[in-house]
Amino acid sequence: MPVCTDNYEHEINNGKNLRTIKCTYCDSVILAPDSACFVKIESELPLMQQNKTNAIILEKELISSYWSVPDMYTFQNVGFSNTVGSTKYLTCADCEAGPIGYHDLGNGRSYVALARVRHC
Amino acid sequence: MAKTYDYLFKLLLIGDSGVGKTCVLFRFSEDAYNTTFISTIGIDFKIRTIELDGKKIKLQIWDTAGQERFRTITTAYYRGAMGIMLVYDITNEKSFENIKNWIRNIEENASADVEKMLLGNKCELEEKRQVSKERGEQLAVEYGIKFIETSAKASIRVEDAFYTLARDIKAKMEKKLEASNPPKGGHQLRSSEPPRRPTNWLSRCTLL
Repeated sequence: MPVCTDNYEHEINNGKNLRTIKCTYCDSVILAPDSACFVKIESELPLMQQNKTNAIILEKELISSYWSVPDMYTFQNVGFSNTVGSTKYLTCADCEAGPIGYHDLGNGRSYVALARVRHC
Repeated sequence: MAKTYDYLFKLLLIGDSGVGKTCVLFRFSEDAYNTTFISTIGIDFKIRTIELDGKKIKLQIWDTAGQERFRTITTAYYRGAMGIMLVYDITNEKSFENIKNWIRNIEENASADVEKMLLGNKCELEEKRQVSKERGEQLAVEYGIKFIETSAKASIRVEDAFYTLARDIKAKMEKKLEASNPPKGGHQLRSSEPPRRPTNWLSRCTLL
C-alpha cells in the first residue's frame, strides 16, 4: 500500500477525480471518473481495524483529502453504515471494508478519503 | 450536475435474522486481535449500480437489520419500496416456514403492486440442507412469484439476485408508462431483440 501522503495532484483533473475509484481490498467500483470534487477538510476517521483488547477507545486518524459527492446516487457501489451522531460511515459495498469516508447528515454530502481508496 | 442514472429502485431484504441476507463472499478481515469498525456499527443500506438494456439503474438496498426480531416491520419501513426479496436459509426449516408470515406482513403493510421474489440462501454446506429446492419452487408458484437459490459454485449472492428483481420492476414500470401514454398514431418502435437472459451468473441458476 502506498504511504499516506497528501500528494494527489496527479489524480485531480479540473477539481475532479481523473480515474475510477475502487476499493483497496477488492475490485468493487465506488465512483466513476469525473464524478467527485476534491476538497480539503480536516476530519477524523475511525481506523478500519480496531484493537479488540482496547475496545473502549476508538482509534482514529486525521485525514484531510477527500472526494466530495453531493448526491449519494452518484456512487456506483457503496454501503452506508447505521447513524453515529450526525454521521453515517461509508463502506465498500462488496467486502464491507470501511470506513472509506463518511456521509454528513447535516449537509447531505458524502466524503470519500483519498487515502482509503484505490485510483485506477 | 446532470442526473447520472435512468431509474432509482428502492429494494428491501426481508426474512428471519440469521438467514444470511447480507452474506458476503469475501469480507474485509477480522482476526483474533482486531475487529472491524464497520461490523461493530452495522450497515444501514447499500447503493448499487446496474445496467439493464442500456439503462443505468441505481438500487438502494435496505436490510431489516434485526428489526425482524421484534416484528416491528410496519408501513414506515415498506414505504416507497418497489421490490422485496424474501430470503430464507436452506439449512433452516423455520426460516422457510416463516416466509408465509412475511408475505402476510407484506400484504398488510406494503403497496399492493410491490414486486416480490423468493430466495433460498445457502451460506453453508449442501449437507446441512433442510429445505429442498422443489419446496422453494412450489412455494413460489403458490404465491406467483419468482424463485432463485444462491449458489457458492456459481457465486450467486443475495445481492446479485436483485438483477432479476430490478428487471421485473423496470418491465412493470415501462408497461405502466406505455399504458398512460399510448402512442399517437403511426407505429411504435420496439426493441427487435428477443427477451434476453443476462449471460453470466443468471444463466447458471434456476428461475421459474
